[in-house]
Amino acid sequence: MKRTITLIAAAALSLSLTGFAFAAGGQQAAGGDVKGNLEASLKVDTSVLKSADNQLLLKPSTDNRKVPARPANPDALPETDPLHWYDMEWAGWNANKSAVPASPKTGAIGKKIIFIVHGDHPWTTACTLGAKKVADAYSMTFKPMSPNWDLAVQNQMIDQAINERPDMILLIPLDAKTAPQQARKINQAGIPLILFNTLPSAEAMNYAIAWTGPDDFGQFRLLSRAFADELRKRNPGAKEIGVAYVQHAPGGSPYFARCFGPISEMAGYAPEIKTLDKQAPGFEADKTMQLVSDWLTRFGPSLKGIVAADDSAQSLGISEALKKAGREDVLVVAAGNSKQGMDLVKEGKIFAITYQTAEGDGALAVATAADWFNGKEIPMRKNLAQHIITKKDVDTFYPPQW
Amino acid sequence: MRSDKKILAGNKRLAWVDKYRIFVLFALVFLFMSVFAPRFFNVFNLTSIMKTVAMNACVAIGFTIVMICGQLDLSIGTVITFAGVLGLSLKGSLGYAGSVPVAIAAGALVGLFNGLLVAKAKINSFIVTLGTMTILQGAIYTLTGGNTISLSTPDAFAVSDFLAKPLLPLVTPRILITVALVIGFELFLRRTQAGRNFYLVGGNKNTAWLAGIKTDGYTVIAFVLSGALAAVGGVFFAMESSAATLKMGDQSLMYVISATIIGGTAMSGGKGGVFRTVVAILTLEMLYTGIILFGLGNEVKIFIAGLILAAVVLYEAYAVYKHEKEVGKRPELVKELAVGKPGAADKPA
Repeated sequence: MKRTITLIAAAALSLSLTGFAFAAGGQQAAGGDVKGNLEASLKVDTSVLKSADNQLLLKPSTDNRKVPARPANPDALPETDPLHWYDMEWAGWNANKSAVPASPKTGAIGKKIIFIVHGDHPWTTACTLGAKKVADAYSMTFKPMSPNWDLAVQNQMIDQAINERPDMILLIPLDAKTAPQQARKINQAGIPLILFNTLPSAEAMNYAIAWTGPDDFGQFRLLSRAFADELRKRNPGAKEIGVAYVQHAPGGSPYFARCFGPISEMAGYAPEIKTLDKQAPGFEADKTMQLVSDWLTRFGPSLKGIVAADDSAQSLGISEALKKAGREDVLVVAAGNSKQGMDLVKEGKIFAITYQTAEGDGALAVATAADWFNGKEIPMRKNLAQHIITKKDVDTFYPPQW
Repeated sequence: MRSDKKILAGNKRLAWVDKYRIFVLFALVFLFMSVFAPRFFNVFNLTSIMKTVAMNACVAIGFTIVMICGQLDLSIGTVITFAGVLGLSLKGSLGYAGSVPVAIAAGALVGLFNGLLVAKAKINSFIVTLGTMTILQGAIYTLTGGNTISLSTPDAFAVSDFLAKPLLPLVTPRILITVALVIGFELFLRRTQAGRNFYLVGGNKNTAWLAGIKTDGYTVIAFVLSGALAAVGGVFFAMESSAATLKMGDQSLMYVISATIIGGTAMSGGKGGVFRTVVAILTLEMLYTGIILFGLGNEVKIFIAGLILAAVVLYEAYAVYKHEKEVGKRPELVKELAVGKPGAADKPA
């Protein structure tokens, strides 16, 4: 037995040493014509790239809201006050970027980037596809990684990404509040970082070049105004209009933005709209259907509207529950824009969804990385273009991205 | 018809594979990944693997002991989260010196609750721990209001850096704690009477009771250890991350169950070991890391993990079939009887 174990150990050692040699040999030397590369990179035009829904991949943002001053203690304000959410909604605007590396100004062409997402989902597939389109335009080496919603695995992937010494890491933090430590680790390893998609807590922004993605709070403020206008139209003169919120998974920024965004917006814009309940049933249609059926029993005709954090499984569950109860009067809005969501808008089962381009989300992160390599000035936050899709224009967004 | 010697040789081979399969699998995966997976074999990556394994390895120690006792603990995932949330939430008022013991004690308390219901109320451990899991999930959401608990203070970051920084190549303080626990519990189970009693309780509860072993007491202790060790894994992971998410333990349950079975611990109890489970966790983690380094997706990882588990379960089924077929058969004895003198079976035909 001892002989067998010794043999296995010896074989392990010798083969491992071979592996070490392989690994060491895999590293490429940097170099080349830096000036020529920068010039060539600056000539690359990504503005013509399109996503699967025939929209421009990199639509410029139309949001021109001014950043308000931070209150002394946002937590002391009530949750219905938009400024209570200041550190989430405006995360990064006050960041101290002293630890962030300066652009090498060597051009984006040929750079190696590692793209770490949060988990497997059709949205993620579309997002990665969009990112790859931009990466291909710059001939970047593009390596996506997915931790399947597991924080320990995402932390390990960050270690592995650092180990590969890429030119940049792009990261969707699995959780807003775990992002500071992750961003700090990448920053301390001397690797430039761009955070994207879900908003991290403000502390993380100190270690990242920028954050890019959908302005979830902004989108939902826009959506809630359209929602409130339609509710008023359907309930003229009503002193109280009850709505309920189907929330996103707890922890991430969408959990807050897609529930407290509309609550705090409507507290000012349409104070007659009252919150009856808010629950996070997950992303399964049957669980959401059960939740909404319970609401319909509990609140009866007082329930006039539902805001959903997801326009696919959650919205299917909502529409099924409303159909079973024969409640066509309940107005539904959701975060979009998946195929199911757009189909439901087309059928009139959802009043409005947000235009939330998955491909554009990934593309914007990589395009921002390319701008940084090209020496352009990078704002602290870059938002995706905002739009509310209704039955009037839903057809222009087909075929869906996911 | 196969000769008696061949049957004996076959049984020996089977026993060898049974005994050392996880070490063989570990060596094969390690060799393959070291040679073929890009950047697998370097100190940074191997340390990263060890760090990832640290939490689940801690949790798996207690889970293996519960399984050796012939029980299941489905609450380990939520205990991880609960302990992480508690450890970080109380840090402000108690400091880590106070909050960590409280979190571990809370995990042990959950285990005590599970153990008493299983041992004294005679409720199936699957049902009991499923219930505890659900209750704890609710408690966690109530405690946190759906928020991740995070600490961004310099002292929290200092602790986090300390736990993550290698003291020696491959060994960070968190890994050291895990290694110490694994060695301690492996020695306890193998070398002490009390440790061996867990195997007796799981192997045959009635016989153990007849032998004077307090079977209920051992069952309760197994659950207490499971709860406490899950809490240790959770709270130290949260301290290193400076954050406790509400889902941080969600993935651990299936992972630890798979590793424990792959490591050779029998679901029926009475067989297995802490060290083997931890080697199985390391093997799975090396495999997953290699898959990522090859640039393959999560679906490949799930597929391969499923294949390994299926192969082990199939093998277990085959071993049980083989064992049952051989029960009562003693080829050497038959031979001795035929020849008429003891030891004849060993002589060449």
